[in-house]
Amino acid sequence: MRAYAIPLLALAIPLVANPYTQFVVNLMLVYVLVAVGFNLVLGNLGQLAFANTALFGIGAYCAAMLMVHAGWPFWAVILPAGLAGAAAGFLASVTALRGIRVYYLAIVTLAFGELLRWSYIHGERATGGTDGLAVPRADFFGFALDSETATFYVFLLIVSVMVKAVSNLLRSKIGRAIVAIRDNELVTASLAIPTGRYIVLAFTLSGFVVGVAGSLFAVLIGRVNPESFGLTELILHFAMVLVGGLGSLFGSVLGAVALTALPEFFRRFPGLYEMFFGGLLIVFLLVQPRGLSALAARWWPALRDRYYRED
Amino acid sequence: MGALLELAGVSVRFAGLQVLTSVDLSARGGQILALIGPNGAGKTTLFNAISGHVGIASGAIALNGAAIHGLTPHEIAARGVRRTFQNGGLFAELTALENVLAGLHARIDGGFAGILFGTRAARAAEREAVSRGRGLLELLGVSHLADRQVGTLSGGQQRTIEIVRAVAADAPLLLLDEPAVGLAPPVRTQLIELIRRLAGEMGIAVLLIEHAVDLVMAAADVIAVFNGGIKIAEGPPAAIRSDPAVLEAYLGHV
Repeated sequence: MRAYAIPLLALAIPLVANPYTQFVVNLMLVYVLVAVGFNLVLGNLGQLAFANTALFGIGAYCAAMLMVHAGWPFWAVILPAGLAGAAAGFLASVTALRGIRVYYLAIVTLAFGELLRWSYIHGERATGGTDGLAVPRADFFGFALDSETATFYVFLLIVSVMVKAVSNLLRSKIGRAIVAIRDNELVTASLAIPTGRYIVLAFTLSGFVVGVAGSLFAVLIGRVNPESFGLTELILHFAMVLVGGLGSLFGSVLGAVALTALPEFFRRFPGLYEMFFGGLLIVFLLVQPRGLSALAARWWPALRDRYYRED
Repeated sequence: MGALLELAGVSVRFAGLQVLTSVDLSARGGQILALIGPNGAGKTTLFNAISGHVGIASGAIALNGAAIHGLTPHEIAARGVRRTFQNGGLFAELTALENVLAGLHARIDGGFAGILFGTRAARAAEREAVSRGRGLLELLGVSHLADRQVGTLSGGQQRTIEIVRAVAADAPLLLLDEPAVGLAPPVRTQLIELIRRLAGEMGIAVLLIEHAVDLVMAAADVIAVFNGGIKIAEGPPAAIRSDPAVLEAYLGHV
């Protein structure tokens, strides 16, 4: 089975989904992009950068503000949201390049996210302050996203195209260079690979993907507010990449799907979710640090991540 | 014909400590130049200076007549200098083939957009690199290891893969840092043969750091002896074997 079978099979989901489950599936698609983007920096490049919710928020606010204040249609704000995320990712890479590594990078990027949240709250004119902004109904080149099903098809298209593009990058000299830097930057440079350029590229690309995810999130939820982009959200993003499997594209997709579904399942058992979520993280860190993708690859070796392509 | 690599008066200092003092050295294509000397003699530092991983305090390093000192490691590598490392030089999580492909990085055409959209041209460039990588592994007798994760390979296999990766992009200068350390005798013989083939058939200039005197005597065309950051002797193996300064400093009192 080839990878493109997954989105093709997904086309049938609206046949069996009610509006609520369809909404959850749409949210999964948003988080697939979030996790795939985060994984580029956290998993593939191996940098402990925590700017991901900041990038997500930048994409969401950029989309919402352009739609609310400038009256742009949804399709026109996707690219700007991605570019805004990319610009922020680029900024984060500059701190990484200056030799600020591991813990410092983690703290600097965390602080960056909190600074942004502060500016959402205090930039009331543009951002609506603590109330946030209500996002008007979206349309995609004239196709109105007026139902969860309509939203699903548009999201599925965007997410599939972007995940495929990321997959193309990872299975090329670019993906190999990024993973090589994670393994040993000095050795990588000794192979005539400009390591600095690839660190910047990975961060910027990650920012783009997560920024686009932010724009999808804004129209799916119909509102952006500062609370959506705090520490709890960051832990969720982190858990998705970790549970899926650090450095694995397929793992990030799995992790996003699993951890989006989980809280919905636990709605029936109030209070249990936090316990289960915390326990799950600990179990994966201790017992299965390579995540769901490594488990899956054991049964289905074709799922092992490869950094080249012969087809 | 001028030398491929030319070092003139190269000195390296670490925080006031003189590690290399005014080293002159040159190497031609097809020649195996061995660097020997006790631990701390400055051999690996000399490699690091050539590959740009440490800066030099004075002197000049030239490749094909053009100065390379002061350039970044990846710029120097791009001009045709490849090296192996004493330990942990491979990307352990990648397969042997993926390691070799990383060595081919700069030779693979295909811009960012082409790769992103998976264009025919980008895929063809990648395919070509993969077949070149597999071909090299086969040429050097390790094609059966291509799809193995290198972390699972034996020491000798890893050294060989690292050498394949280093020669993949046709670099004219190869720096091998203790390639035979910890290898069983038959594997060492194979390694010597491999190094001789690189210099002979491929015309590569090989600089070799090695402690094993037998291996050095068997492989090298020229031996340079270092002690305390100073080159104390240089010449063909037979002359070095009987050089009194070398016997004194390195081979010990005989």
